[in-house]
Amino acid sequence: MHIPDGYLSPATCGVFGAVMIPIWTAASRAVKKTLSVRQVPYLAIGAAFSFVIMMFNVPILGGSSGHAVGGVLVAILLGPWAACIAVTVALVIQALLFGDGGITAIGANCFNMAFVLPFVGYYVYKLISSNSPSGSVRRVIAAGAGAYVGICVAALSAGIEFGLQPLLYHTANGQALYCPYGLNVAVPAMVLGHLVVFGWVEVIVTALVVKYLQKQDSVFFEGGRS
Amino acid sequence: MSNPLHKKHDFIERSILSALAFLKDATMSEEYANRKGFLQSLDPRFKTISFLAFLVTAVSLKSAVLISPLYLSCLILALLSRIHLRNFLLRTLFFIPLFSLCIVLPTMFSVVTPGEPVWSFHVAWITGIITRPGLDGAVLFVVRIATSVSLVVLLSLTTRHSELLKVLRVFGVPQVFVMTVSMCYRYLYLFATMVENIFTAVKSRVGMVSHHRQGQSIVTWNIANTWNRTTQMSEEVYMAMLSRGYTGEPRLLSKFHATPKDWLWLLCAVVICAFLFYRGHTL
Repeated sequence: MHIPDGYLSPATCGVFGAVMIPIWTAASRAVKKTLSVRQVPYLAIGAAFSFVIMMFNVPILGGSSGHAVGGVLVAILLGPWAACIAVTVALVIQALLFGDGGITAIGANCFNMAFVLPFVGYYVYKLISSNSPSGSVRRVIAAGAGAYVGICVAALSAGIEFGLQPLLYHTANGQALYCPYGLNVAVPAMVLGHLVVFGWVEVIVTALVVKYLQKQDSVFFEGGRS
Repeated sequence: MSNPLHKKHDFIERSILSALAFLKDATMSEEYANRKGFLQSLDPRFKTISFLAFLVTAVSLKSAVLISPLYLSCLILALLSRIHLRNFLLRTLFFIPLFSLCIVLPTMFSVVTPGEPVWSFHVAWITGIITRPGLDGAVLFVVRIATSVSLVVLLSLTTRHSELLKVLRVFGVPQVFVMTVSMCYRYLYLFATMVENIFTAVKSRVGMVSHHRQGQSIVTWNIANTWNRTTQMSEEVYMAMLSRGYTGEPRLLSKFHATPKDWLWLLCAVVICAFLFYRGHTL
């Protein structure tokens, strides 16, 4: 889902960068309110954790394996605003130091993976888990559902961003200047892959990690950071 | 023929490889950044600003002919900076540009992009016609992406990662965010080593994973365990920060020094970008 440089026009990148500024500002304020000075390293290490989740390959059917993005898991563990900052930090490091995901597309990537993914996933999790007991199966199902919906909506958002490019940016003879596929191709290509394969990897990781954490420290889910 | 037992362990191998790839990339970057080359001698702030200008230019230009000089400059700068050209090409051309080429291939054909035919061929009963606008669009797309990736990798390889993160302050990024990014980066080494150790231990102790569900259980248990270690570690890190005089307001040490050479480099970069933009408008 990482959008490299050159897939989106500079104007699109600028718009998403501008959209993310108030979100980052709000996230900083929210995190300052909820996390104490003591928890600054917690945020940095949480960001490292969200980076490292992608190193864990999960076996899936047919002997193949894939990795999760972990945005919803981080949102359940840290809260959505802190997750927004943690995932942003991970994306900045990936883009700037490892060339994974574009620098000019950092606003769009953060919008999809540090805003849409954790927020949609987290609120689906909150809606389904409601006031259920911390150790309940309902929370595990809610975490899985949140992860699935979160990643699919984020993929839809990326698909729309790709699909708008040939409509908005083309030469006089119709030659696409950036991502060449319109909404009719880009949206199904992005969404179907996540509905059928990647979404389920996200479900497995998020639900099972929540289940293990419930066993180890169920108090964490009782009005803790989540 | 693929070995089914090997396939069952695929996730273990791939996880170890992911962790090792991170460590290898990070180590390789530090090694290149410490060499005495042209880009390494520049002030990281000036270098970052100039590379961002090149990147924005490459992304904005609408002609592959105008973007190509930027790509060639990357190769020359890589050589002047004592970067092994084969490694550089392997790192920059494989994966993203190659993946982009696969994505854009169908748009070269008349079925997707109608226009003046440049080449046609017959395979069995199918006739493929490559069109001028399709070919031009595909070449522009791939050249732009290869150039963008090369610029970012070149910047990352020739600048110490800790310094590159400090440069974010130049762009007005709040100090607390820069500190979080820098701390996060340092802990990535620790976590990557942790992931490698976890999966090496899994590989040596589990013996055989009989079902993918068992593998999922192992992986997710280890992610949960990593999270628990994370929370414990943050407490220890905070105590260590306090012992070093942290009062809640982060302070970053900066040792950047600009020389006339840095200013000259920046001027050259601005002139090149302005010229390419001008040519882009007049073409």
